[in-house]
Amino acid sequence: MVKLRKVLLNLSAFALICTLLVLSGCGGGGQSKTLYIFNWTYYTPDSVIQKFEKEYDVKVVYDTFASNEEMFAKLKAGGANYDIIFPSGDYVSIMIKEGMLEKIDKSKLKNFANIDPQVLELCDFDPGNQYSVPYYMGAAGVAVNKTKVQTYDRSWSIFARKDLGNHMIMLDDMREVMGDALKYLGYSVNTTDQKQIDEARDLINNVWKPNLLKFDAEAFAKSFASGEVWVAQGYAESIFAEVDKANWNTVDFFIPKEGGPSYVDSMVILKGSKNKDLALKFIDFIHRPEIYAEFCDYFGFPATANVPARALKKGESWYRPEDLLNCELKEDVGADLEKYNAAWQTIRVGK
Amino acid sequence: MKKQVGLLYSLPQILWLLVFFAAPLCIIIVYSFLKKGLYGGVEPQFSLEAYTALANPNILLVTWRTLKISIIATALTLLIALPCGYSIARSKNQAARLFLVIVPFWTNFLVRIYAWIAILGNEGFLNDILRALHLTTESVQFLYNQTAVILVLVYMYLPYAILPLFSTIDKFDFTLLDAARDLGASRFQSYVRVLLPNIKSGLMTAGLFTFVPIFGAYAVPLLIGGKDSYMLGNIIADQLTKTRNWPLASSISMTVTILTTGLVFLIAMRKPREQKQVFDADPAFLQAVPAGKR
Amino acid sequence: MLRKGGIAARKFMPAGSSLSNVIYWVVIGFLFLPLFVLVLYSFNSGRQTTWQGFSFVWYQKLVMASPELWRAFFNSITIAFGSALMSTAIGTLAAVGTTRYSFKLKNLVSTMSFVPMILPEIVVGVSLLIFFAGVGLRLGLLTVWIAHTTFNLPFVYLLVSARLEESDPSIVEAARDLGANEMQILFRIILPMALPGILSAFLTAVTLSLEDFVITFFVTGPGGTTLPLYIYSMIRFGVSPVINALSAVMVAGTVLLVYPMRNFLKVFAAR
Repeated sequence: MVKLRKVLLNLSAFALICTLLVLSGCGGGGQSKTLYIFNWTYYTPDSVIQKFEKEYDVKVVYDTFASNEEMFAKLKAGGANYDIIFPSGDYVSIMIKEGMLEKIDKSKLKNFANIDPQVLELCDFDPGNQYSVPYYMGAAGVAVNKTKVQTYDRSWSIFARKDLGNHMIMLDDMREVMGDALKYLGYSVNTTDQKQIDEARDLINNVWKPNLLKFDAEAFAKSFASGEVWVAQGYAESIFAEVDKANWNTVDFFIPKEGGPSYVDSMVILKGSKNKDLALKFIDFIHRPEIYAEFCDYFGFPATANVPARALKKGESWYRPEDLLNCELKEDVGADLEKYNAAWQTIRVGK
Repeated sequence: MKKQVGLLYSLPQILWLLVFFAAPLCIIIVYSFLKKGLYGGVEPQFSLEAYTALANPNILLVTWRTLKISIIATALTLLIALPCGYSIARSKNQAARLFLVIVPFWTNFLVRIYAWIAILGNEGFLNDILRALHLTTESVQFLYNQTAVILVLVYMYLPYAILPLFSTIDKFDFTLLDAARDLGASRFQSYVRVLLPNIKSGLMTAGLFTFVPIFGAYAVPLLIGGKDSYMLGNIIADQLTKTRNWPLASSISMTVTILTTGLVFLIAMRKPREQKQVFDADPAFLQAVPAGKR
Repeated sequence: MLRKGGIAARKFMPAGSSLSNVIYWVVIGFLFLPLFVLVLYSFNSGRQTTWQGFSFVWYQKLVMASPELWRAFFNSITIAFGSALMSTAIGTLAAVGTTRYSFKLKNLVSTMSFVPMILPEIVVGVSLLIFFAGVGLRLGLLTVWIAHTTFNLPFVYLLVSARLEESDPSIVEAARDLGANEMQILFRIILPMALPGILSAFLTAVTLSLEDFVITFFVTGPGGTTLPLYIYSMIRFGVSPVINALSAVMVAGTVLLVYPMRNFLKVFAAR
């Protein structure tokens, strides 16, 4: 009994210290030298963050989300006081409409001029970039394991191939997969026409889905790398992060010729941010050509948003900026999202 | 005087649960009767839409599937847990045997799910062994179907069924079995007719602590399941985060809560004595409870 | 040691229990299988699940892992012990209250403690998220701590009450007759009596908290990433062999931590 009491005492002392730590960690919001970033998982290299911390002598807290929807649900509920968020274009416009963003003072951004004017022109979601600064423009594509699949067309029609049945995977992402089908059928990825949406739904449900192993936005790259999946729709950076470097030459990553939904991920400052100036400094820091090139090299991205960085890039890119020509930017479709929801639910729920 | 002391002791817990549990639950109830906001959240407008939407054939299909998977997985879990609990109860090293059951659950459950993917995958451990033994040449597709989901769910909740069963079997008077045998019952008969009725409350608790969490399962169907394994937990999460329909997520949650609470009370109310056993089992059994949480 | 127990036990056991023993060991194999695979792959030099040679590379990477991982790890530990302490304190008091005394709201207290356990985790997480947003509480470690304390409470309460109900009430009466006041009874008699229950409640709460993913996912905010969340977000980006190594270290750590407590486990199972 005495022994037990000792154990308990020690435990409670330890726990007490921990609790104090928790509370001090939360209550002490007074530290103005901390920048809170809410970003996609693995979207800014640690080395870039560390350089920023060093140069400005601040601390950066980098939290991650896995989808726009998840990020938005969290922020919409309120209470999450981040400084910089990295939403995609459609969510930038939603967050502007909901009054969640702070205007950006572009006069404080020396490096804004480095951004590709073509990309800026695409930013219909935020005309004149009053609230957002483009971070990266890209698109999901298709990765093919060339040792298993020798002949194929660089088209979405690959998912209709019955001979690859159960060796293909698509993202568990409504707008992405629906957008692919819509593009394949020659429609806009932002259509609100019920007939076109139904047509896309039937294409996915009756022609593509029977050949798919599953819809997966979590482990698609892992399944691809293990050799279980031969054809995967997904993001290049995830695929190549998972495949061993020695096998990179067996992987063909392409953006299908029909194009698909593309995205411009942007940096925005959340309303109520206590570190607006620091946030602006961070945004400006990202668009320094050498920093932007470092970021792109880390992930094998083409330097889509920053022009001078293209010359500074040392590594190869998984695809070229030109590959995105046929792609179309995803936009917020407002109340018509319900049509997409209904279609997607039928696809996901059905057998 | 004495009464106030009891209340005083319980006051912190009452307040804590009132603020951090009852209040949020009320919000869920209110939300389920409001109109959905375009970008998530709710509009302050009364609406039964979230409840009428429950009649959607897709949701009914998923509910049916969830029910089916939960019942099969719970039944399998109990079937396997019963002899295990018996074996532990009759062992001299109860503590060591219990410990062996609990230890694997001190590793992160996501990591364990991924280990299962590594085992069952087409290029995984099991297929490697099968190929090495020349039992198959082609990979066998174990993963990404309902069977795999059920297997991993059984794995996830087995210990939490074993522990309550162990503690009830442990209290059982084993001489009754001998008596039954002496009276001419076969071994099987003696187990079914004598042992089982005496450990009913343990079976029920074990069943409850497996069925309830499996019914709300989210990560296992997402990661282990295939095209046909979308479950109720996934629908709730998707309504909340993907389609931004908070009232519908609330109404589904409410329905699930009322159904499971109803089930618990039905079981608890059946016989007051058994209900007491559910609450007052010994600590070893209650260790099982954590299982009920995932 | 285990086997000895098995043989000794068989002597007074009816036949047929050997079958249950076989099933028990098969089940233990089943439960340990993923752990075995995990440890194995943590020594694999390649990223994939196919064996590519023995290597410590993932352990090296773990040591040099990004600060994010260590932050998540310490967050998890902090939250686990912090919430376990809080829930153990509150839950133990309530258990003492309801088992030692009777009062009007007693039944309400026990029922209310029971319901959060039945609710699907995702419902608890969502409702707490909406609640925190509604009262304007900033999401972060504090809200995670509150949420974990909340879902730990029922378990603590049930574990401690179970223990208290087993113990002999006459001791308390005797102490009272001898003139002990309420505080003395609580600290000198009731709490020491409930100690095994309190300790197991505390450990259960720590385990539950370390494991939780769904509720944390909804209620966390800036700087509040816990290990399960970190692992979840990391897994799709192929850093998982590091996680295998971390898990292997954690398994070894818990075994080392629990082994000295095996005597406690005996207290726990012996009746």
